[in-house]
Amino acid sequence: MTTPAIELTNVSYSYARSKKYALKDLSLQVEQGEFLAVMGENGAGKSTFCQTLNGILPNSMGGRLKGKVLIQGLNTVETPISQLATKVAIVLEDPETQFFTSSVRSEIAFGPENLCVPVDEILERIKWALDVVRLSGFEDRLPTALSGGQKQRLAIAAGIAMRPSILVLDEATSQLDPVGVKEVLSVVKELNEKYGMTIVMATDHSEEVARVANHVVVIDSGKLVDEGTPRQIFANLDLFDKYMIRSPQVSQMGALLVKAGVKLPIFPLSVEEGCRDLVDVLGGKPAPKAKIEKKSSEQSVSQAEPIITVDHLDFVYQPLNVHAVKDVNFVIHRGEFVALIGQNGSGKTTVLKNLLGLLKPTTGKVTIAGLDTREVAVADLARHVGFVLQNPDQQLFAETVREEVAYGPHNLGLDEATIKDRVAWALKEVGLEGKEEDFPPALPKGDRAKVVIASALALDPEVIVLDEPTTGQDYRGCHQIMQIADSLHREGRTVVFVTHHMALVAEYAKRVIVMTGGKILMDGKTEEVFSKPDVVREAYIIPPQITELGQALPAELGLPHTPLSVAQMVEPILARLDAVHTGLEQQVV
Amino acid sequence: MSNSLVTYYPGNTLIHKLDPRIKIIFLVLASVVIFGVQNLALCAFVLLTMCALWVVARLPFSLLASFGKALFPIMIFLFVVQAIFYPGTTYVIKPLIPTFVPLIGGIGYVSVEGMLFAVLLALRLLAMIILLPLVSFTTPVQNLALGLARIGMPYQWAYATTTALNLVPILQTETGVIMDAQRLRAMQSFEKGKLMDKLRAYPALVTPLIIGSMRRAQLMSIAMDSRAFGASKERTYLEDVDMHPSDWAFLAISIIYTVAILVIAALI
Repeated sequence: MTTPAIELTNVSYSYARSKKYALKDLSLQVEQGEFLAVMGENGAGKSTFCQTLNGILPNSMGGRLKGKVLIQGLNTVETPISQLATKVAIVLEDPETQFFTSSVRSEIAFGPENLCVPVDEILERIKWALDVVRLSGFEDRLPTALSGGQKQRLAIAAGIAMRPSILVLDEATSQLDPVGVKEVLSVVKELNEKYGMTIVMATDHSEEVARVANHVVVIDSGKLVDEGTPRQIFANLDLFDKYMIRSPQVSQMGALLVKAGVKLPIFPLSVEEGCRDLVDVLGGKPAPKAKIEKKSSEQSVSQAEPIITVDHLDFVYQPLNVHAVKDVNFVIHRGEFVALIGQNGSGKTTVLKNLLGLLKPTTGKVTIAGLDTREVAVADLARHVGFVLQNPDQQLFAETVREEVAYGPHNLGLDEATIKDRVAWALKEVGLEGKEEDFPPALPKGDRAKVVIASALALDPEVIVLDEPTTGQDYRGCHQIMQIADSLHREGRTVVFVTHHMALVAEYAKRVIVMTGGKILMDGKTEEVFSKPDVVREAYIIPPQITELGQALPAELGLPHTPLSVAQMVEPILARLDAVHTGLEQQVV
Repeated sequence: MSNSLVTYYPGNTLIHKLDPRIKIIFLVLASVVIFGVQNLALCAFVLLTMCALWVVARLPFSLLASFGKALFPIMIFLFVVQAIFYPGTTYVIKPLIPTFVPLIGGIGYVSVEGMLFAVLLALRLLAMIILLPLVSFTTPVQNLALGLARIGMPYQWAYATTTALNLVPILQTETGVIMDAQRLRAMQSFEKGKLMDKLRAYPALVTPLIIGSMRRAQLMSIAMDSRAFGASKERTYLEDVDMHPSDWAFLAISIIYTVAILVIAALI
């Protein structure tokens, strides 16, 4: 028998100055050439696991490691970094902190240089690595000037230039837009298939896991709680309830159908399999006589008064003269729930910053609650619009959660009693009551985001704008944040958000504005927008998997063409089957 | 977009192509000259030399303008302070309080000597602010680290130095974002607040900056260690330094220039 690529025996690890175990009694074996996906919530121990594999933990960062980590039979604690680095390469989450030089070429050379590889050979490796990650021709480019997907591919190239047989990706795709994710994964897949490299990938992208991985482990509170093939893991409804592992939407549908007693020929992981399953289960069974069209019960919001008006907005970044936004027009009315979507670089954030006066229009006009953003100070606009920027860590200034949330109201000059009420109300809205005295930066990632949202709410704004609130959040965090947004919307506030999670857009937003190349491509009701997959794809947006399934199904099945959530797909299926089973035709009134 | 002091501006000029060691030596020599010269005319000449090199390096003039703009308040401040406090006897404005009053006597005058000294300081400041980017804008960080290492600094230290330099623009961007976040929470001071309000607003900047930097430093060290940084005492360099005739020439001119200016300064 060959030596496994990775072998962990009863591994426990605690960070320096921490009594808590970040990994607990973890045993695992990974064979050479496997594609392992590591799933689990934020804080479950995924990164810790990844960093024990190349010996960074404990060799560089200290802490206590119990048990044994063997990489191709070498114990990581006893093996020098110089040797481990030629076995295991790692790509980290944040593309910004992994580069130390100012050209793509020298970045790739950095590792081999440290290993004293002769220059001729380094040159050969650079050529090879760039070829693999498809960045040939980028040798002289500045790493910081690359797109997110390109940066992570460069990080891969820099890693594989040390000729490892194992590549570890520690949440390496979680900050990328869908196009970036796709770029990176296709490179990783090729390394696995063509070069036989063992891949370990910590990620939340279950649709991608289902596509590329052949081995999945689930980590919760540092313990390995489940292990199997993607099909075994995603078939488990329980796992989702207990550990908040998001299965692919098609698998979620499959699990719900199985739970309802439906026999599926194969547990579905992909759109194709889901399609075959449904044709098999429902094919030949009579379709309902009429489609059940639920008419939207909400009153039309366009009757409400406009709160945000963007009129022929053009924005050019100086001094580089980048024309980021071109002739954008839209009106948002009081009480709307709008998602602004598009690839990175499509101009979304620039538009948002113009809404708040953080950027002033080059030409055109933006008015918020009747105020022209060019004439009013940001601080005054902040009374009307609560704007939550992308990274919560840059928005936490105070020593306690209470002070943090009170910061805005204090600036408004409100009296103490009102401030107290505002703080209590805002913390209740985001579900952080009882954390008033905590140090904000020490809270878990999801809570940090919630503190920032509460801080914006404390100004009691009519409009809430969220710029990528879900980036870097796990499934639980994403949904909690969107539920806060949803409840604000129900209270009658206007919500505008930007995200790359199309499932969240489909599930929560009532209206979607699609941007590409600084222009608006489409603007309409969520269902309308996603019902035109060709147009959406023009903006490099991949619709939610369940929507794709609806669109891939043969029309004669009579299922929704543009389902926006798993429930919207499962309910009609079950209704159909129920009707068939009980022999009753569904009556449509 | 930012007027950082340490962004690399790619180019193919004489300055860009210089051996990084020569640039480091030049940096030291030029600093000695700038601070060693007391004479106004000489200092103006040194400043002109720096400007000439800026042209040779084909660096954008818009940057010079933005540095000037950023420095303007400091220069005004220096000017006022020196003009008032520099001991001089040629009064432009007579002392507010007569000189015979004990302790505070003589305060409040503006002298010609003070104004001249202020001009000298301003010229030095300008020369320094041109000199630094002249080196940092034209040298990729890895070459700067290489230069330091080849002068004799252990390469871990050399990289630590250049990495620290590299953090400057990152911190600048981050400060901008944090200030935006504060304005979004109705903080008026950055736009129209009083000086005291502004001073009070700054501590709130520090917490996220420090925590952010610590996080970044830790992530960077994980990334560096993962790439076998410091795994052995020696390392190879993809592009090693190599002295060309032009490097020797530039070094010779720099030394002659330094000595000449200092001698003239001593003679005047």
